[in-house]
Amino acid sequence: MSKRVVKGKNTRGGLKRFTISMQRKLVVLCGLVLLAFVGLGIKLFLINRDNGQAYTMQVLSQQAYENQTIPYKRGKIMDCKGTVLADSQLVYNVIVDSKQILEKDAYLEPTLDALESLGINRGRIREYITNHPSSQYYIALKNLSYQDRKAYLDKVEAGIKMEKEKKVAPADRKYDNIKGIWFESGYSRIYPHSDLACHVIGFSGSGNVGTGGLEEYYNETLNGVVGRRYGYLDESLSMEQTMIEPKDGNNLVLTLDANIQSIVQKYLKKHDDEYDNFDHPGNGSNHAACIVMDVHSGEILAMAGTPFFDLNQPSDLAALEGMPKLDANDEPMDSYLTYTDLLVMSDEDKPRYLNALWSNFCVSQYFEPGSTAKPFTVATGLETGTVDKDETFYCNGYKYIDGFEIKCHNREGDGLLTVGQAVERSCNVSLMEMAMSEGKENFTKFQNVFNFGLRTGIDLADEARTDSFVSDSTMTDSMLATNAFGQNFDATMIQMAAGFCSLINGGYYYEPHVVKKITSPSGTTLRTIEPRVLKKTVSEETSELIREYTVQVVEGRYGTGETARPAGYRIGGKTGTAETLPRGNDEYIVSFMGYAPAEDPQILVYVVIDRANFENQDDATFATVVVRSIMQEVLPYLNIYMSEPVTDEERAELEELGLAVTYTGDESPDKWEKQTW
Amino acid sequence: MSSISAIVKEKIGGRRGLADYSLVFIVLFLLSFGLVMLYSTSSYESMAQHGDAAYYLKRQMIFTLLGLALMVFVSLIPYTFWKRISLLAYAVSLGLILLIIPFGMEVNGAKRWLKIPILPIQLQPAEVAKIGVIVFSAMFIEKLGRKALSTVRGFILPMIPAVVVGVMLWKITDNLSSAIIVVAIVFGMLFVACPDYGKFILIAVVVLVVAAALVWYTVNSADTNSLDFRGERVLAWLDPQAYAGGKGYQTIQALYAIGSGGIFGKGLGQSMQKLGFIPEAQNDMIFSIICEELGLFGAISIMLMFVLLLWRFMMIANSADDFYGAMLVVGVISHIAVQVILNIAVVTNTIPNTGVTLPFISYGGSSVFFLLSEIGIVLSVSRGMQREELARLEES
Repeated sequence: MSKRVVKGKNTRGGLKRFTISMQRKLVVLCGLVLLAFVGLGIKLFLINRDNGQAYTMQVLSQQAYENQTIPYKRGKIMDCKGTVLADSQLVYNVIVDSKQILEKDAYLEPTLDALESLGINRGRIREYITNHPSSQYYIALKNLSYQDRKAYLDKVEAGIKMEKEKKVAPADRKYDNIKGIWFESGYSRIYPHSDLACHVIGFSGSGNVGTGGLEEYYNETLNGVVGRRYGYLDESLSMEQTMIEPKDGNNLVLTLDANIQSIVQKYLKKHDDEYDNFDHPGNGSNHAACIVMDVHSGEILAMAGTPFFDLNQPSDLAALEGMPKLDANDEPMDSYLTYTDLLVMSDEDKPRYLNALWSNFCVSQYFEPGSTAKPFTVATGLETGTVDKDETFYCNGYKYIDGFEIKCHNREGDGLLTVGQAVERSCNVSLMEMAMSEGKENFTKFQNVFNFGLRTGIDLADEARTDSFVSDSTMTDSMLATNAFGQNFDATMIQMAAGFCSLINGGYYYEPHVVKKITSPSGTTLRTIEPRVLKKTVSEETSELIREYTVQVVEGRYGTGETARPAGYRIGGKTGTAETLPRGNDEYIVSFMGYAPAEDPQILVYVVIDRANFENQDDATFATVVVRSIMQEVLPYLNIYMSEPVTDEERAELEELGLAVTYTGDESPDKWEKQTW
Repeated sequence: MSSISAIVKEKIGGRRGLADYSLVFIVLFLLSFGLVMLYSTSSYESMAQHGDAAYYLKRQMIFTLLGLALMVFVSLIPYTFWKRISLLAYAVSLGLILLIIPFGMEVNGAKRWLKIPILPIQLQPAEVAKIGVIVFSAMFIEKLGRKALSTVRGFILPMIPAVVVGVMLWKITDNLSSAIIVVAIVFGMLFVACPDYGKFILIAVVVLVVAAALVWYTVNSADTNSLDFRGERVLAWLDPQAYAGGKGYQTIQALYAIGSGGIFGKGLGQSMQKLGFIPEAQNDMIFSIICEELGLFGAISIMLMFVLLLWRFMMIANSADDFYGAMLVVGVISHIAVQVILNIAVVTNTIPNTGVTLPFISYGGSSVFFLLSEIGIVLSVSRGMQREELARLEES
């Protein structure tokens, strides 16, 4: 290193030269600095050597790995025509971060204004923020709609822009000082038709857990897989961010038709309104239920039972009003819930009553079916050859069995009856005679064939299994006799309907089902559920006879189901009247199992009225008129044309309903002339 | 380079030229490295607070460019100019500190900044004072003469203006670290200028003993509540884990960063501690992020760059044309060396936490701006009295 020192003159009192000794001292100074650097370098090394591992762990453990789930969209439920019955909508939770809001005084009021504009109670949220100053996650509001959130964000954005343009002082900014509000997305389940098919669909709340009906039965199908956004450390210990997209749930396409369903619900509701508070305070009946089924496939076209409830607010107690009070075993009593009862209802009672409300009467509840079981008894006799179609029976009004006097409807006695007449008049004595001829073994065997007591396998939650039929060895004569006309054994509506379909369709027992198709979120079909024949119950010959007999129930001179016949159509069916337990209370479940058209059955309409709110409940007319009204609208909807002429009276009635006369025959020329077309 | 300066270069052994390029290179390297590290360190917090990851980077770049322009300008001014205005420079330094009292801007509870009218920038008078004191003390020491410097009086007299500025910085701006730096600068200059070692060793021993006594007093203080924040910082220094939630938080997080870096670090941009764990890491704690991302290797490389810088300074001082020029460079050496040492010592918890920035690398407009003007002065010294000598050469 060449050092050149420019020699300056040393003036008196001052310095001109940077002398060699000064240069040396500068080197010493720099040496000291270097020494300090070396010391600090050693310190750095020691920190790494002694604490490196512990500190590395500490740094990793401090990392809050962002591990956030991304919700999936639960599948839709659509009817056979694509009408959406259940859907999931993108909604937002409003999250409040107290810590951030309290960072500056200027933040609080504008943020409270913003929260208030989102519909959050100002006083309550202020209280929360001041009481929880360190809280960073508080759900202040749930289910804010996409539109409301967007409107809010747009407003705030515009506000901030305006404040910047007008150069409002930072402390006075209304929008820019909104802090600590953020949104968390999620899905909320909506049911656009509120109570339509409520028991069939069921509902799904937060957490995507279905309760009742399809929502419960197909819970896994409807649910998707949550996505996840998370951080992890790779092998070189650097943070990586990964996102797994959520997988949306699959959709259900139903066999159910929303139009038929609403027709059914309309008339059930009409019945309910008609008898509401009629004989006693309370609903028109404990239950008024109906199943509409495709006879040749087991597809459910409609299924409903009163009381209905709004799927969007399933826990709204208002729907309970008028329902019978429940005893300790959850059995209905003879007193009914009033509005005041709802106000004072205890927390233990609420779930009991709500469960009763949500229960699908058509599949989850069982009852003694009554005379609608008679065609089954007849079919058993015909099928086993123990009853001949030309056989006759004599009814004198009662029959003694096991010491009991079992009466017929007609206490006077029906006299001498053919098999068909016995069905037409619903003669208990004749049916008891038939069952006696069949014997217990045949009878119980065919109860099993018709699937009574067993689950039908319908794809709905909570199907009841009754197992009420007994084996031939334990069966008493009186049980056999009463079972013959549908008493002393329990069945569900869906069991009766599915069995009856097989009686009239040539003996094919179809598994009843509600879902026709499962589709992917994008709409492609993943699975089609084809009609499934479970067994052959009766022969075509027997089936034909049963059709013949049941048409007589409606058309015959002494038929019990005359009031079920819709204008312009020939139908068949069977009435049912069963006294409920305990006997002697004059409480009845009445029903009508109807099908149409009579010659070539297409649909089955089964209506059950459980304890009508009327003094004399033992009248199947409660059910037949409902079946009639439903068929009157559903048959034209299904493009089944009238085969019979209509009377003037019926024509007027049809006009009132806005229905066309589709009869094209010429059996009644006088009516032809009155046609306007 | 003109032919005449080529001749000059040949004649005087390559020292003279337009600038000392190796020094300029080291400074540019440190500045560029500083900007990269600043961006890496600040982008997360910058995004969170200003919605722009490059907010701090942009601001720092503006000041760096302004500072470089100033550096070039200052390097063209013959350094003897500073001798002429040294008294004025000292007066301006005092004046700016006094202006803090009525016009100071309070940030984080301390009044350290002056708002420049119209412009959206703030000035830290402490940074101006450092230059002012260097320029003034160099002149003062020169005027005292060699004889006086070997006496105690010759040591105390030049210390007085520095101590005055130090006390003002401490009391008015509550900035003890800047006060220490100002006093240390003059102490370093006097160490070089005075011929003996005795009084410096004595003072160093006294300072150490007093510091130890203060620490002892703090630790044994019966009521820790009576301590001010400096007392608490001392306690946090001795046992940062115990104060990890309060005063020791920043220190312990910095140690975590250093310890988790290892030999080669996590890689540029891969720091985890900058993600909100070390508050305002781009200021005083940037060295810990360098350790975390670039490891011991990166940290020691940066320290070596500072060593190189100081070596260049030393060379320039030792070959300065006159005493005044050399003293200016010694002042700058002291300034930068003290700040680097204090900064790294704080980050490694070698001394209690006190806010000192790492020259050229930490975020801070005033700091980089005035540091570059100091470099300008050094460059001016390295160019020497070119014109006068040229004239002399041409005469001969």
